[in-house]
Amino acid sequence: MPLIGSFCLLLALSLSLYCFVAGIIALVNRHPAALRLGETARRAGMATFIATAVAAAALVWAAMNNDYSLAYILHHTNRALPTPYKIAALWSGQEGSLLFWALLLSAYGFVLRWRHTVDRKLYAYASVVLSGIQIFFLLLVNFAGNPFGVMDSVRADGFGLNPLLQYPEMVIHPPMLYLGYVGMAVPFAFGLAALIMKYPGEKWIQITRRWTMVAWLFLTVGIFLGAHWAYGVLGWGGYWGWDPVENASFLPWLSATAFLHSVMMQEKRGMMKVWNVWLIFVTFLLSILGTFLTRSGIVSSVHAFAQSSIGAWFAWMLGISFVVCLFFFLKNRSHLQSENKLESLVSRESSFMFNNLVLLAACFAVLWGTLFPIISEWVRGFKITVGPPFFNKVMIPVGLFLVFLTAVGPLLAWRKTSLASMKRNFAIPAVVALIVAVVCFVTFKPWQDIAHFYSMMSLSLSALVIATVTLEFYRGGRVLQGKLNTNLFGAMYWLTRRNTRRYGGYIVHFGVVVIFIGLAGAAFNQDKEQEMGQGDKLVVGHYELVGQKYTDDDTPNYESQSAILDVYKDGQFVRTLYPELRAYKASQQPDHVVAIRSTPLEDLYVVYEGRNPDTDRPIIKAFVNPLVSWLWIGVLITALGTGIALVPNAAQIKSPVTVPAMVPSDSRSAALGGLGATR
Amino acid sequence: MRRFIFVFMLLLLSAAAFAVDDARFQARYNDLGVRVQCACGCGQALIQCNHVGCTYSDNMIRQLRSTVTNFSNDEDVLNWFRRQYGSTVVTEPSTHGFELTIWVVPPVLGAAAILLLSFLVRRWRLRAALAAPMAGDARLTEFRSRARMETEL
Repeated sequence: MPLIGSFCLLLALSLSLYCFVAGIIALVNRHPAALRLGETARRAGMATFIATAVAAAALVWAAMNNDYSLAYILHHTNRALPTPYKIAALWSGQEGSLLFWALLLSAYGFVLRWRHTVDRKLYAYASVVLSGIQIFFLLLVNFAGNPFGVMDSVRADGFGLNPLLQYPEMVIHPPMLYLGYVGMAVPFAFGLAALIMKYPGEKWIQITRRWTMVAWLFLTVGIFLGAHWAYGVLGWGGYWGWDPVENASFLPWLSATAFLHSVMMQEKRGMMKVWNVWLIFVTFLLSILGTFLTRSGIVSSVHAFAQSSIGAWFAWMLGISFVVCLFFFLKNRSHLQSENKLESLVSRESSFMFNNLVLLAACFAVLWGTLFPIISEWVRGFKITVGPPFFNKVMIPVGLFLVFLTAVGPLLAWRKTSLASMKRNFAIPAVVALIVAVVCFVTFKPWQDIAHFYSMMSLSLSALVIATVTLEFYRGGRVLQGKLNTNLFGAMYWLTRRNTRRYGGYIVHFGVVVIFIGLAGAAFNQDKEQEMGQGDKLVVGHYELVGQKYTDDDTPNYESQSAILDVYKDGQFVRTLYPELRAYKASQQPDHVVAIRSTPLEDLYVVYEGRNPDTDRPIIKAFVNPLVSWLWIGVLITALGTGIALVPNAAQIKSPVTVPAMVPSDSRSAALGGLGATR
Repeated sequence: MRRFIFVFMLLLLSAAAFAVDDARFQARYNDLGVRVQCACGCGQALIQCNHVGCTYSDNMIRQLRSTVTNFSNDEDVLNWFRRQYGSTVVTEPSTHGFELTIWVVPPVLGAAAILLLSFLVRRWRLRAALAAPMAGDARLTEFRSRARMETEL
């Protein structure tokens, strides 16, 4: 298997090189044979996926069969490791995760080349760019971090997987995150391709937008799965710590979000072409920069298992990518002239512009805070730590302003918004937001604590967004209700089907504010820690925990100590919780298994911290974290909205079968086009 | 009776003053406790470090309590920890010297970007106002189709 794996990796590299070189020759050559050469390049690109997939399968096979002759398998698995984690071993270490990146990139490349008939020339250029990136990852995986390195002697058992990674989310969190990171290479390839070939019109941006949405969806889900993992495993009661690795995933997310908004300006009004091209470039470069920062070890991170010497490779990749982007931009920038200019500060365009500015300001602030320890070391000779206090102070106001723009933007008209239209659109949402603000002001006492003030603002602005989104659905639904002769909800359904992008976008906005509602609860977190014997009580918030029993367990994979705690809320028994502390045998590392009682209103989060070495009594720490479950619900809504936005409009699907000319007297059918047929 | 009321009021005021002091102490302790990280290397805020047997957190928490009592200024507390454990122990950069730049640069750049945008919009509007009025039926058709596209009708 190591031989097959190594051979396939070299084969994949050769195929990628061929795809790149032959692809370029085919594009620059006008000879008739160039077309056939281009086709061979495309097929070589597709075959790269097969070769990389076989290499990845060889590594997984080795993990499943406990082949400890491979150094990678020895260091990341052991015999007692459950099967799903053996599969997850593919992305649990440096070399495997690089192979996984290469695999995902080749999979994206396969789909891209498969769909080349959409626009042969654009796809041929994009295929060449993508194969350039593929070559980088395959060089890495062949020469800097080969997962098929063989041991001199074979051990009976492996060292096991990092216990922090032995958690269900860890089986899907890295693939999701990588699908997001790697996915950003596809819009980058299209953007660069369109710039190189001076692509006429805006079709390329429509193609790119869809790919960006897919990558954005994966990145969003990946980030929040990571947050959920941190919440469930690390045992500190939080889900986001502004660690450099977390920031590295957040940076391309912010710039991709900015792109998904500003791209509408280009589609609708031919504006912001330079901006959009650079947003795509920056998003890809940030993906590489994030990887460079975390893999090189130049910034300290709790994700220490990801550090290695491959940082220099990523630094080179970053530099070369930037130079290539800058070269083609300077060469072909005349192609990116805007067709229109911004005419008013109170318009849909300006709201997109502000949204982009704020998102990029947020992106810069996160990057600045992440890099500042290195800058400090360069300037003053010593590092400082930039942690949550800085990021929270800077990012919370920025986030709240973004929520405000989320409410205001969709209600503004293109080009210019009149005062009358603003009054009509904003009256009801403003009243709803004001009522929520007054209620929060009375109950939260925001003058006592800045966190309470932010919480009040978050809930009020969320109410503003929810009201505007609801009104948009309601107004659109009312218009269609009469025409379709259906009830309001049916009309809203068809409204969404007719313009999936717009109403899917509103659902995404709704999901985002639900996430903000979840974040608002953090201002009211409570926690308590104490030693607890049998029958002892711990009171936190309106919960009372009673220690029933403390047990030890021994499995082939780990030893564990756990507590059995009865939970009472306002004197009523609600359930029993079993927080646990595991010590994994192979790695000799401890790991918390947190017990969580989750309700829509709050989470009771209980950690068994182990025994006090002096008294030998168990230590229990309990948190009451309000509204946390809305974070996860918000992500699901966001994913649903993105999925809807990706679906083609109903009218477009059915348009081939509709013949409105046959029923000219029926104004309803004529107005609805294909909708009549779809019903 | 008046003396009793006086003593009662005095006791009440003292209790209130102690309660306010205690609440202020607790607020400062909670605030500073997340601005200092545990020196054990776990990367967690001092008052959130949950490693059993951590050889740093108990002592550091005691030091935090005593410094919060002894120093009225938060920056003095943080400086005490910087001197004791090195500059990386504080997770919030200070607001003076070189570290001030971390706070100043993002808002200054943000404000500059907004000013630049406002300036550009004004210039574009001025240019649009000076542009010749549109004419010709062919162009009107083009504008109508663009309006349809832009208003999503």
